Order: sequence, then structure tokens, then C-alpha cells
Amino acid sequence: MSLHAQDDPELRAAQEARLREVWKPPSGLFLRWTDTNNDRVGVWYTLTAFGFMLFAGVLAMIMRTQLAVPDNDLVSANTFNQLFTLHGSMMMFLFAVPMFEAVSIILLPQLLGARDLPFPRLSAFGYWSFLLGGVFVAGSIFFNEAPDGGWFMYPPLTTRTDLSGLGADIWMLGLSFIEVSSVAAAVELIVGVLKCRPPGMRLNLMPLYAWYILVVAVMILFAFPPLIAGDLLFEMERLLNWPFFDASRGGDPLLWQHLFWIFGHPEVYIIFLPSIALFAMLVPTFAKRHLLGYPWIVLAAVGTAFLSFGLWVHHMFTTGLPKISLAFFSAASEAVVIPTGVQIFVFIATLWAGRVTWSTPLLYATGSLAIFVIGGLTGVMVAVAPFDWQAHDTYFVVAHLHYVLIGGTLMPLFAGLYYYWPLITGKKLSDRLGRIAFWMLFAGANITFFPMHFSGLEGMPRRVFTYPAELGIGGLNLVSTLGAYLFAAGVAVVCLDLALSPRRKTGARNPWGAGTLEWLEDPADDAHWGVRCVPLISSRYPIWDQKDFVKKVDEGRFFLPDAEEGRRETIITSVLDARPVSVIRLGTPSFKPMLTAIALGGVFILTTFHLYWAALACAFATLFMVLLWLWTGTAEIPEKECKPIGHGIKLPLYVSGAKAPGWWAMFITMMADATAFSGLVFGYFFFWTRHPDFPPADMAAAPGAFWPMVALAVALVSWTLTVAARQLNAAGSVGAARMALAAGAAFSAYGVYAGLAGPWLSGMDPEAHVYPAIVWTLAIWTAAHSGVAIIMQGYTLARSIAGRMTPKYDADVRNITVYMHFFALTAIVTYATIGLFPGVS
Amino acid sequence: MKRGLPGWALRLRVTLWTLIVPPTTWAAHFLFAYLWAAINCAKVGQFATFPWLFVGGTVAALLVILASGWIAWHQSRVPGDAPPHEESTDVDRLRFLAKSTLLLSGLSFVAVIFTALPVVFIGDCR
Amino acid sequence: MRRIGASLAASALLSACNRHQSALATFGAEATNIRTITIALVVGAAVIAAIMIGVYWRAVRAPEGQLTHKQGMRLVLWLGGIGPAIVLTVILIFALPAMRPRVTGAGDLTIHVEGEQFWWRVGYERPGGGVLVSANEVRVPVGRTVAFELTGRDVIHSFWIPGLAGKMDMIPGRTNSLVVRADKAGRYRGVCTEFCGLSHALMAFDVVAMEPAAFDAWLAGQARPAAGAGQGEGERLFAANGCGGCHAIRGTEHNSRIGPDLSRYGERLTLGAGILPPTVERTAQFIRAPQEAKPGVRMPAYPQLSNQEARAIAVYLKGLK
Repeated sequence: MSLHAQDDPELRAAQEARLREVWKPPSGLFLRWTDTNNDRVGVWYTLTAFGFMLFAGVLAMIMRTQLAVPDNDLVSANTFNQLFTLHGSMMMFLFAVPMFEAVSIILLPQLLGARDLPFPRLSAFGYWSFLLGGVFVAGSIFFNEAPDGGWFMYPPLTTRTDLSGLGADIWMLGLSFIEVSSVAAAVELIVGVLKCRPPGMRLNLMPLYAWYILVVAVMILFAFPPLIAGDLLFEMERLLNWPFFDASRGGDPLLWQHLFWIFGHPEVYIIFLPSIALFAMLVPTFAKRHLLGYPWIVLAAVGTAFLSFGLWVHHMFTTGLPKISLAFFSAASEAVVIPTGVQIFVFIATLWAGRVTWSTPLLYATGSLAIFVIGGLTGVMVAVAPFDWQAHDTYFVVAHLHYVLIGGTLMPLFAGLYYYWPLITGKKLSDRLGRIAFWMLFAGANITFFPMHFSGLEGMPRRVFTYPAELGIGGLNLVSTLGAYLFAAGVAVVCLDLALSPRRKTGARNPWGAGTLEWLEDPADDAHWGVRCVPLISSRYPIWDQKDFVKKVDEGRFFLPDAEEGRRETIITSVLDARPVSVIRLGTPSFKPMLTAIALGGVFILTTFHLYWAALACAFATLFMVLLWLWTGTAEIPEKECKPIGHGIKLPLYVSGAKAPGWWAMFITMMADATAFSGLVFGYFFFWTRHPDFPPADMAAAPGAFWPMVALAVALVSWTLTVAARQLNAAGSVGAARMALAAGAAFSAYGVYAGLAGPWLSGMDPEAHVYPAIVWTLAIWTAAHSGVAIIMQGYTLARSIAGRMTPKYDADVRNITVYMHFFALTAIVTYATIGLFPGVS
Repeated sequence: MKRGLPGWALRLRVTLWTLIVPPTTWAAHFLFAYLWAAINCAKVGQFATFPWLFVGGTVAALLVILASGWIAWHQSRVPGDAPPHEESTDVDRLRFLAKSTLLLSGLSFVAVIFTALPVVFIGDCR
Repeated sequence: MRRIGASLAASALLSACNRHQSALATFGAEATNIRTITIALVVGAAVIAAIMIGVYWRAVRAPEGQLTHKQGMRLVLWLGGIGPAIVLTVILIFALPAMRPRVTGAGDLTIHVEGEQFWWRVGYERPGGGVLVSANEVRVPVGRTVAFELTGRDVIHSFWIPGLAGKMDMIPGRTNSLVVRADKAGRYRGVCTEFCGLSHALMAFDVVAMEPAAFDAWLAGQARPAAGAGQGEGERLFAANGCGGCHAIRGTEHNSRIGPDLSRYGERLTLGAGILPPTVERTAQFIRAPQEAKPGVRMPAYPQLSNQEARAIAVYLKGLK
């Protein structure tokens, strides 16, 4: 196929017909929900997250009504505690984070000129997990069983089963389930940004939104796993009575606070940076020029990501830690202001240098910057530890965080909503309603939250269901409540605007005259293929800068303009320079993601109600579904080796190892796994610093050095055998490779026993003290990974025997080798810690 | 190629990994500082009047950041067209990554200094 | 404009009321220092906000091309990078030394406070040795260094007297120290600031800062049993209904430490940990149905007591001074 071949309109029509057929969404009452295409799944995801936001907003309105006057009794203390816990938890876990993932699932393929993200079924799985977990958590309030320990769930209030009920389990397990789906989305987005860019889009040409998403997704990998580790310890205390947070048995409630805030502070930036990313897309459009200072934005995003992991203790300034420890975090909390300031001034400089066109999105962006700056300035104040000792856990902090989150997340999302609505629906929203809503939101936010600075400093603590009249803060609270109603009315106007949208006429393509790839989308065309063809990029704003760009794309004059084999495909490129590497076949609509999510949801939800056997059955169902999904949908041997993508370029249809998205997905997942594990190891050494002697001198039972060393040796043998299997398979010795895999699985099985033998044979009682509890936890974690290794080795062996893995097509064995590297590392750390460290210390 | 430009600095392969060397150094130093103080305070009850271990660690971190910034500075001056480096060429991609690394070195340098200040001003375990 | 209006309205609203639980109306050295820091930070923040608004205003009104690429980069470098770095360094140089706690000496008063759902157990270390136990009220001498030793019995609480100093958490298994000095005598209020369960909002306490001589006399006097202790119909009902199973009254057989000490209930300024006026009427109501005043409270209800019996106990308790 040459460049001129595309001159033929009939050929183009035939190509389009084929593409249309391939990307046709499933229809029908049930089948439509099997869709995996990013434009559908992303919209479901967005609408669901928006719905949860409205729900959590209603909860806030009830709270504000309760607090409007002193000594009010509209709701009981019990209800109020559920309200604020659910409001915070939902806004964070069911709105802010999923919303960013949802918007990215819609936008990212468009921005990258890709047909879809690399793992569409994973997106669908993430969505169904989110929906199920979200309904489970949010619905609990209708049964008066919602979590009531605050969104931070500090033990011992929440771990003592005499002080807290089912709500705590619902929070822990329901949200753990959603955290799993967040990590899944992070994997998807990282691989998407690194491997699915169009040819020519080197790192220096990537849309800034993609840079931010990359950074944020990496942050999720390091921020969520410590919380998942914390959740694990938490549920082991609640369900099994292992005393991690019980001071009377050597535990310490502060361990939870560390693990929670190692997640909790980066979380703030995880939800702030994607919103700033929306600014980075719309500011150049309305300044009619390139964003000025592209590397500065990268500096800011990467710098913020790193620094945000050095701030967590500033949520713990009043816990009595040594002042020197607090001071490190105070200093880092100040340092993070610098990259934030840089971002804001990059936008200001761009607007200054360009020609500003006022529009509703830019109005929202301006308003949110104003609100965010106030939140940022009070953030500098609370980072000063002595001031925080007064402000902490008062309404001052409520004011601060709402300024940050409204200015840094909610209002930018509204800016993005007004900006991108035409992209998704083809219709602009009303400028008039948009502006009315803006002023209601802007005034409402300030009237609600500005007085809270004063009520806080006048002595109003957070999370109080009422306050006495004699404190004299009734007037301030009444103003806050009225402001909240105004804000809610503003949100209602936005909803009205959205509701009126279907009645409006379809507008023009690229209505804002933007320069980035996502605006290739033509609202007049109902195609679901993402892009007509994958373009060659030579500018940050190709629609502005590349000659006849839109026309060339529309006529399929770039890459992959056809779907000859009737398969959904997209191009994989190299990380740094986006050189074409291969064409991958994408997952098609399927029930498997949904069923897997339901099975996994069953594990979490049934455990909440202590239905352990049913939960175990669901766990097996999940395993079965995952294996079925992988077996039928991944590492498929193509019918031919290579495929032309146009312009004389032929790309392989199968790659393995570091070139393949699957390998990256495994690597990234294991990074998250290793981070969760390091959370547990942190727990061990945290307890070591908390006790003068750890292991406690009077504790007779200890795993000793023998069994841990045996387990370590077994784990390393299993690892060696897997690496050998990879090499043997690549060298063509299929039989030997199968032997190595079988032997590896046998060693992994023995590794499960040897790993647990240390604590088991020495009779360590995990309910007695935190030392046996944490040793057991590390041993179980590693043994469980050994168990997963058996499954992986067995699976790969089966693939080889079934002819689905050959010396040439060897993605499976390469992927499990990545797992085994991390497993070996886990085994070394675990067994050295429990077997050797007691002797060293 | 500019005078005084060391060849090895240019030949160094610039990747996303080299981009994060300066902030990773900050993170390592921060973790070191936190653990150093926490373990000293929990296990010893105090730390030395002249905390040589901490000073050494801080100097080492600053040197790594300076070196990485210096290399990036040279790399960002590879001849090519004027800023804003937005062509799809090897040079522009190199200069972009180098410029970003340089900026991150600056931020990381300031952040390491910030992390060192508490030891100067607080100086005990209370 | 609106913000200025809001702050004016706020000060107007506040001037009318009693500000005995305010971080801005201080009576202690620590809180006063922090208030000074607060004012400096607020002024600085206002200046920075004004600069930002000014720059933004200029930016959006400037004609195209007024700012070249090079000038733009300079703007980002100086206003976005170097400027904030300098301001933040200055803040740290002033803020870090301010974190150092007050130095304590051997003769300083130590007060142990333990938080429990939803009240405060208070213990004064007496000069001659021994600990004087009280509840839900903290008295401190003006002008002397006082060290609070804080812990939580059941869950995490937080000890906050806004007018005196910043807050400090009370964590089971840990003892945190908060060193303060009161500077102005008077009656103030403290409150729990870590969410601790159902009645977190109803967990406060009274703070009385006293002249040193008055404090010493008060502390010495407290060791003696109250005048009416162990006498009358109220005492009989108190004992018969098992109140002594949880509450202690010095000079009687009741010495349980489960609930709040009632030895000098008659001197208390409030009932139910800082939430109700300690009248006979309210006290009697509280005895019969504590859950109504304070959801989740550990004290069982005594609906079997008649109104008169409950009043008799209340009268007895009110007499303990």
C-alpha cells in the first residue's frame, strides 16, 4: 500500500466499512454491557463517579443543615458520624480517584491517536469492580450500617469490635476492592502512555495530559499499596484478633496512621494533578499558542510526585512524635509548594504571551485557580507545625482542604466538563447556564468555607455533630450552611445544563479550535474506532502545526488505516522515541471482565459478613475466571508473523519481553505488589523501634533461622528453574523447559510449606503479641506468593503443552519470569527479616 | 560540541530513569534522615552533637544531585535549533529530557537543603 | 470584597460572645506565640494572594506577544521557582525553632490526663508525692511551667486547650508530653479534637487558670475529704444503687476508678465533661438517663430511680465541696 493508494475513495469507503464492522459496539439489552471500548466504558465510569459525587454531596448538605444552628438535633450523633465518614470516603475513593481514571480512559487513547488502551478488558474489569464496590459501600447508609469511624478509620476505635460494627468491615473490604481496581487502572494508563503513542510522538511531544497521567498512575502504584497492606493488617485484627494496633499486646495505633497517610497525602496530589492536567490542555487552546515552559510542567509534575511522598507525617503533627521527625515533614511540606507555584506561573505566562479568548471553560479554570491559591496558602500555614498544633482537626483544616479540593479537583473538572463535553457528545453546553452556575459555585464555595477558617480558630473541632451555643460560632456556621446551599444550587444548574444537552443540535468539529489530537473526533460520525488511522506526529499541537493534518487522518493516509483481518488493533511504539514496534490485537467485548469483577467482589463482600466458605468459593471462581480470561485472550499466536501498516512499514504481530505491553503490565503490577510488601516490612521494623527488645525477650516462640533459610533456598531454586525454563525454551529445548517449569512448581509447593513451617512448628500464637502476628503475616504473604508461583508455573507449562507457547512465541514464560524476580526478592527480604534479623539485633 | 564538554557525559544514555535520579536522591536522603532520627531517638534516646553520619549523607546526596544537574546542563546545550525544543528529533528529545533533569536537580537540591535544616534548628529528640 | 465582609461579620459575631475556647483569645505563652506566627502567616498569605491576582489580571489583559518566550521563562523561574523558595526558606528559619518545647525543671507541676470515652481523668502530682485524682476539669497555676502527661485509655483522643497551647493526641500505649505556661487567670474550656466515637462532640472540660498562691492552697485543700462526704439520704442512695462501683468519693468507702472521680463534685463548673450546667435538676436527669445527654456514654441509665431519689443523690453530690 502506498501513499497514493488512499486517493481511491472506494478503497477508503471499504476500509471504513471494515473498521466500522470491527469496532461496532455490541447491542441488545444484556450484550451492550459486555462492551470494552474505551468510549463506552469511560462514559459509564464517568457517569457513575459523577453520581457518587452527587450522592456524597447530598450527605454534606444534611451535615451542613445539622450544623446550621447550635445544639441542633436534626440527625443523631450516630447518623452524623456515618454521614461525614461516608462523605469523605466517597468523595476520595468513589469520586476523585475514579473520576480521573474514567476521564483518562475516555481521553487518553484520543490524545495518543490510539484506537484504544492496550487492555480494554482490564478497563471494563476496573469499571465493574468500581461499580460493585461503590454501591456496596454507599448503599450501607440505607441500612444504618455505614462506616462511622471517619474516612481515616483510626484504630483502636475502628478495630475494637466492641466499639465499632459492620461499618468498619464494609469500609475496609469494600474500599480495598476499589483500590484493587484503581491499581488495575494505573497499570492500564502507564502502559498506555509509555507504549501506545503514535509514531513520532517522542517524550518531548507528548500532550501534557499524558505526562500528568503517567506521573499520577505511577504515584498510585506507590501510594495505594501501603493502604492495601494497612487494610490487610486492619482486617486481620478485626476478624482474627491479631493485635497490630492493640497497645496492650505490643501493637501500636500509630502504625495505621503511618500506612494510611503514606497513602493519604500522595492521594491529594493524585487527585489534584489530573485536574491541573486539564488546565494544561485548555489553557493553550484559549491562549491560542503553545504552552510556554513544557519542561517546567514536567519538572512540576515529577517533582510534586516525589515530594508528595515526604509529607505524610504532617497529618500526624500532634501525635507526639519527636519534634525532629515532624520538622523533616514540615520542611518537605514547604518544598512541595515550589513545583505547585511553577505550574501556576506556567499557565499565567502562557496566558500572558498568548491572545486570551474568554470562554466558559477558561472562566472555570480561572475561578478554580483563585480558590486553589487560597487553599495553597493555608496549606503553607498548616505545614508550619506550631500553627498546625492549633489548626489540626479543627474547621480551619476543613476550610483548607475544601479550598484545595474544590479549587484543585472539582472546579477544574467542571472546566474540563465544559471543555470536553463537545468532544464526547458533539454538543456544546450552554454558556449562559455555565456562567450562572460558575458564579453560584464560586460564591457558594467561598461563603461556605471562608468562615470556617474563623470557626476553626475559634475552637470548633472537626467531626462534631453539634456545638454549644456558648462558643459563639453559630453565626459563622449559619453563613457556611447558606453558602453550601448556594453551592449545591450551582451544581444543580450544571446538572440541568447536562440534562438539556440531548435536546441541543450537534455542533461543529473541534469547536474551540484546539491543536491536540483528541479533537480529531468528528461528532457527525458515529464511528467507534477511536481514530481513522494512527497519525505520524511531529509537533505538540499537530492540528495547528502539521499541514493538512485532519484531512490526512480522515483519508487514512497515515498508519493502520484498515482492519483487513477483522481484528481490533493498535500500534505499540517504543518508550522514548515512539518508534513503531508492533501491532497488537485488542480485547473485544466479553462477559469475562464483568464476571471476574463479580467473583472478586464476592470475595470481599462475603468476607465482610463472615461468610468465609462462600468467600472461598468466590476466590476459586475468581481464579478460574482470571485463568480463563488469560488463556483465551492473551499472548495469542497470530496467523501471520508481520503485518503492513502503510508507508512500507511492516510490524510484527507478536512481541514478548520488554517490548510487549503484557510484560510491562506484569512489571508494573509487581511494583505495586512490592510496595505493599514493603508496607508490611515497614510494620516489622516499626515495631522493632517501638519496643526496647524485639523480638520480646520473654517470648519463647520464634521461627528460628533453620526453616526460613530452607524456605529461602527453595524459593531461589524455584526462581532459578523459571529463569532456566525461559532460556531453554528460547533455545528450542522445549522438553527441558517443561521439566524445569514442572520442577519449579514442585519447589514452589514445598516453599509454601517451608515458609509457614518456621512460625507453625515453633507454635507462635499470633493473638498473643504483635511479634508473632507480624512474623506470621510476612510468612503468609510470602507463602501466598509461592502459591501464586505454582499457578503461574503450571499455567505456563500448560500453555507450552497446548501449543500456545513456543520457542518463538514465548510471552508467557517471559512474563512469569518477571513475577519470579519479584518473588525471589520478597523471599530474600522476608526470610532474612524473620530468620536472621533477631540474631543481628 | 562545546569546549570543555566531557564526552562521557554526552554519551550517557538519557532515559526516563536518568530523569528521576535527582528526585530519587532527594527521596533516599529524606528516608535516610527520617530513619536516622527515628532510630536514634527510639533506640539511643538522642543523637550526637555533631551528627557526622547525617552530615555525610547530606553532602553525598547534594553531590549526586549536583553531578546529575551538571551532566544535564551540558546535555541541554547540545547544538540544535532554538528552544522550545518541540521537534520530533533526537536532539530535541535529548535536550528536553536534559532540561527537565536540570530543573529537577534544582528542585531536589533545595529540597535536600530544606530536609537538612531541622537538624540545625531542632537538634534533639524531644 | 466579600471576604473582607465575611471577616468583618465574623469579628462582629464574635465580639458578642464568650471566647473562652479560642486560639485567638489566648491566655498561655504557647498559644500567644502561635498567634503571633498566625498573624505573620496570614499577612504574608494576603500579600502573596494580592500579587497573584495582580499578575493574573495583567496576564489575561495583555495583548498577544507582549511577553516573549524568554521573558515568560524568566517569570516562571523567578515568581514560580526562586521567589517561593526564598519565602519558604524564611518561613522555615522562623518556624523550626518555634517547634522546640519549653524546658522543664525538677520542681515543675506535672498533671496526668487520660482520655476515655467520653471524659477526662485528671491527676495532679502533689509536691509531697502522691497523685490527686479529679475529672473533667484542669486547674493550672499562672506563671509556672506545667507539664501535661497525656495518654488514652480506650481509643485515641486529643487534648486541646486552644487559649493555652496547641493540641496533643492521647494515644493508647503512648504517653505524650505537652509543656505549657498560663499567663492570665480565668475560666476557659478545652475540648477533644480527635474523633473518638459517638459523643466525640460532647467531650470537653473546664480549665481554670489560678494565681499561684490560690492554686497551691486549692491543691492542698483537695486532699481533704469534702465536708458532706459520706452523709445523709443521698449517700445512702448512692451506695445502695452501686454508684460506688464506678465512682470514687474521697473520705468514703467508694474508691473505684472506673468512672469520673466525684470527690468535689460540688465545685465542678460543668456536668458530663463540659457540656451541661451542674445544677441539681440536670444532675438528677443525667443520673436517670445519661444516654439522653450523651449518646454512647458508658454509665448505665437508672430509670428505676424515682425523680426524688435521683434529686437526693444530686443534692448530695452538689454538697461535695
